[in-house]
Amino acid sequence: MRLLVVEDESLLREQLQQGLAKQGYVVDVAEDGKSGLYYATEYDFDAAIIDLGLPEIDGISLIQQVRAAGKEYPILILTARGDWQDKVAGLDAGADDYVVKPFQLEEILARLNALLRRAAGFAKPKLEFGQLSLDITAKRLLVDEEAVDLTAYEYKMLEYLMLHPGQVISKTELTEHLYAQDYDRDSNVLEVFVRRLRQKLDPDQTLKPIETVRGQGYRFSLEES
Amino acid sequence: MTTSEESSNYSIQTRLVISFSILLFVFLGLTGVVLDRAFRNSVEAGAAERLQVQIYLLLGAAEVSDGEFYFLEDLREPKFSQLNSGLYGFISRPSLGELWRSDSALAFSLADPQVLRQPVQVGETQSSKTLSAEGDEYFVLSYGILWEDGISEYSFTVIEDAAPYYSEISNFRTSLWSWLGGVALLLLLIQFFLMRWGLSPLHRMARDLKQIESGEKNQLAGNYPQELQRVTNNLNVLIETERKQQARYRTTLGDLAHSLKTPLAVIAGTMQTLSSSKADDKEQLDAVDEQLARMNQIVSYQLQRAVQTNNRSSLARQVQVKPVAEKVLDALAKVYRDKSVSLVKLLDEDAVFYGDERDLLEVLGNVLDNAFKYGRGEVSIRASVENHDSSGLQIVIEDNGPGISIEKQEYVLQRGARADTLVQGQGIGLAVVTDIVGSYGGTIEVGSSNLGGAKITMRFVSTRQGS
Repeated sequence: MRLLVVEDESLLREQLQQGLAKQGYVVDVAEDGKSGLYYATEYDFDAAIIDLGLPEIDGISLIQQVRAAGKEYPILILTARGDWQDKVAGLDAGADDYVVKPFQLEEILARLNALLRRAAGFAKPKLEFGQLSLDITAKRLLVDEEAVDLTAYEYKMLEYLMLHPGQVISKTELTEHLYAQDYDRDSNVLEVFVRRLRQKLDPDQTLKPIETVRGQGYRFSLEES
Repeated sequence: MTTSEESSNYSIQTRLVISFSILLFVFLGLTGVVLDRAFRNSVEAGAAERLQVQIYLLLGAAEVSDGEFYFLEDLREPKFSQLNSGLYGFISRPSLGELWRSDSALAFSLADPQVLRQPVQVGETQSSKTLSAEGDEYFVLSYGILWEDGISEYSFTVIEDAAPYYSEISNFRTSLWSWLGGVALLLLLIQFFLMRWGLSPLHRMARDLKQIESGEKNQLAGNYPQELQRVTNNLNVLIETERKQQARYRTTLGDLAHSLKTPLAVIAGTMQTLSSSKADDKEQLDAVDEQLARMNQIVSYQLQRAVQTNNRSSLARQVQVKPVAEKVLDALAKVYRDKSVSLVKLLDEDAVFYGDERDLLEVLGNVLDNAFKYGRGEVSIRASVENHDSSGLQIVIEDNGPGISIEKQEYVLQRGARADTLVQGQGIGLAVVTDIVGSYGGTIEVGSSNLGGAKITMRFVSTRQGS
């Protein structure tokens, strides 16, 4: 999951970046509205966290421009004033939720999870596909009601695929949403993860949850239940 | 209230009416008195002239023989021969008294017969008034002559009834004063209309100011007379300054909030990192964390309070409730998309909030947020116009959540409940709402809804009402 954080306060930006990275998100940061707009429109993100009080371009205009550019990923706003004028303006401009400063990281994570899940079209906090059940809040996978241990990257990959069921996800897209920018994209590590995931999810080879679409990428092919 | 205060309360119109009326009555009164006096003098002078002519008539016709007067020819004035005609002729000598009287005077007697003995210098006329024996007033004119013999001095006296003259004067007086009275009334009426015309810009200004107060206008617009233009210009500047100052105040406070809250957020984040890495110091870290949360609550609460103080005194604007409520509902629908809340909204088109839109947003936002958050999928909002003169606004927001317990109900209704006395975890939302509602002189009630949860009722009265 790739996130964009636009926050001008450097300490807060770093805390967010570290906290979110610890949770397995790939985080890009921008320190003002202008560079925020550049990132937000040039790259594809799964969600953005945008502070309302930004230099160069303020948060509200930034959100409006991102939406005008056709980007539809969820946006969470951070507001310091916390008055309803700001909240309403932010949500009206195209944001999806707000968090009032100061905040606990847990709150951000909870809101973010809900937004990501919602953006993928899931109303419930768990993604359920037959015997597979992924709790994206607890970051836990159950197969036939039994917990299955996943490494951080295995989890990230599965979550991304399950949030986009039925869609063909290219290796490039997966890499972008799983790794920070400086990652070596030629590596065949993705294939290793897919193989390991298949073993863990479906040791008997009956479900075949992850399909390989030759020359294009991977597809999570189970039906939501 | 003392007399001086009372008098200072007189309106400009009253002052002008009173002073103009005094001026009018003094002027017309003096004019009347002067005209009356002049007419009277002229009537009396006319009477004296007439008597003088009569004297010459007598003189011309009189003959003396042995000290006796007789008249050869008829006097050309028939009144001299007509009994009690009101015109009487006398010839007298101061030493001898009356020597002759006209036929008309045969039954006439003076109250003081000495009048005829008054010595009159030769060639001189002497005019006076006297009374008859019956008490009627008469004009008297005597003329002293030296007879042809060169020795005898006589007085020719004509006495005439003054009543006809007086009735003439009184007629004149009646018509004079009724005319003057009519003129006074007419002038007062004209003055009243002139005053209305002259003072109408002031009335217009008062009306405009009221509209500004009620939010229908922003400025004293239109052309005022030169004398008022400077006042209205200054007032416009004042209004504008007040608005700017309010805006600046809010911006400054917003900036302050921003600059305080961001460091607080940083500290909170650092605390979190510390508590995960230093499990040994958890207790101390928790204590710091708790205080941090408290600081944050105090900052939020006091800033919100500061932003919305003295709303009532400032120039109120009017805000339609419906669009503002819909904005908030749209925002909340987004935030609580997962909850699939069924919403009942009855928003009266005419419902108007007399105040700042921000404050209304804050009130609706906080109360509705609670309803969405704690409600179990049912929320209702009603905004309606109250009172027969449409001066009041009532907003009722209900939900089907757990509601607010009786003890808590009392607590949240305490105005200005201090943030540092708030129980941990308790939001500042309702406290802020209570303060805002209170600052507009409104009331807030917390009760139980038929839906099963909390019911918040807020009532506002227009500031227009009192003013």
